[in-house]
Amino acid sequence: MDGVKAALVLFVASLLQLSVLTEYRLFRTASVVLVALLSVALLRGSIFGAVAGFMTGLLLDTATLGTLGITSLLLTLGGFWIGRYGETTARDRFHAPYVSVAVVTVLYLFGQLVLQFMLGEPAPAGLVLHGLPGALLLNLILTLPVYALIRRLFPPLELGDRIREVRLLG
Amino acid sequence: MGFLVLASLVLITVSFRSSALDGVQGTGATVLRPFEVAADRIARPFADTIGWFRGLVDAKNENKKLRAQNEALRRQLILDEGAIQENVQLRNALNYKGPPSIADFDKVHASVLSNSQGVLDESIVISAGKSDGVQPGSVVVEPIGGPDGTGALVGTVDRVTSHASRVTLLTDSESAVTATDVTNPQVIGAVRRGGGSSDVLILDRVPKKPFVRVGDTIVTAGSLGTGPLKSKFPRGVPIGTVSSKSSTDANLFQSIQLKPLVDFSSIQTVVVLVPKSTG
Repeated sequence: MDGVKAALVLFVASLLQLSVLTEYRLFRTASVVLVALLSVALLRGSIFGAVAGFMTGLLLDTATLGTLGITSLLLTLGGFWIGRYGETTARDRFHAPYVSVAVVTVLYLFGQLVLQFMLGEPAPAGLVLHGLPGALLLNLILTLPVYALIRRLFPPLELGDRIREVRLLG
Repeated sequence: MGFLVLASLVLITVSFRSSALDGVQGTGATVLRPFEVAADRIARPFADTIGWFRGLVDAKNENKKLRAQNEALRRQLILDEGAIQENVQLRNALNYKGPPSIADFDKVHASVLSNSQGVLDESIVISAGKSDGVQPGSVVVEPIGGPDGTGALVGTVDRVTSHASRVTLLTDSESAVTATDVTNPQVIGAVRRGGGSSDVLILDRVPKKPFVRVGDTIVTAGSLGTGPLKSKFPRGVPIGTVSSKSSTDANLFQSIQLKPLVDFSSIQTVVVLVPKSTG
């Protein structure tokens, strides 16, 4: 059931990103998909986050006719890492979604840059540095409503469901 | 997790090195298209409302400015129409073979399915593809404002599927086009993205001698050429206006900045120039 809900949420977020947000110059650097994915990953764990990231990346690359796999790779790693962060230490902490979104926004942009560079495509670091503050700020602003909504859709797991997750003691 | 990373790497390799997945990707894009159109239609009234309020704030000032501009342009148009007629007559009399013009192309109107995504992306996806005659390299312009009912230069098509295409915008760091000054055709240079934001283009490689003025309109130069060297850009497609210029003793060329005529962040519809169909 969680899988279907996640698919729907991320599909709607992708449509919102592709068709609505990018029409506005102000929101062009924001990524509601990234924020939604990280929220889901934080609440449902690493494997769930990685699979959701892979599928969402595939959807975005298909819709934008970009090189397949680039966004999938970055979102898979982002989803897995933040899922792990949620499993081990941070799911219930207030700052967790904000820290996750801030860190992954930075890594995602530089990851894109590195992949483009490795593929021999133009990789202007100046553009990333120029766009980074805006992207960071907008994603953090989006985190508040998006995480609140996703937390309602994905309530905390019962203890039985969390049995396979890793938790740090102490 | 390892499997997903591996799958991503395989996808990158196959997608980047071959066109084996283009069909699948094209089908996927076609399947997604109705959803994107639906999302756009749902959001459109909200966007229009925001635009209406924004427009209201500037409307009075803009109205005054546009009335004055309209009057000046009306006078200019009368002069231009006379010059165009004379030009056509002289061309016919001399049997002149010039660079391709917009009239030499068929026009395919398309809507924008998705705008640029993120900081590094300077491309849009449009709703016209191979089935409409679009080819990689086809020139894309705005639908209004210029000669023949077409407007300023948007970019070129770099990837085509059966019903959709990806357009690399002029603001992409890999895009460049040979351009000239409308009022001084001796000025020839290459328009490309400036170092900073995508709001600024630069006209590069213009020697210091030809005189460029702030406010001049820069258009595509086009060129006759032969074979693969023939310019894909028709002559006379507007690109932007000169917003500033400077030169230093250390630099052989002028430093000319352009304000693009297209607002690349909010393109709704475009016209793709495709070769004229024979038949």
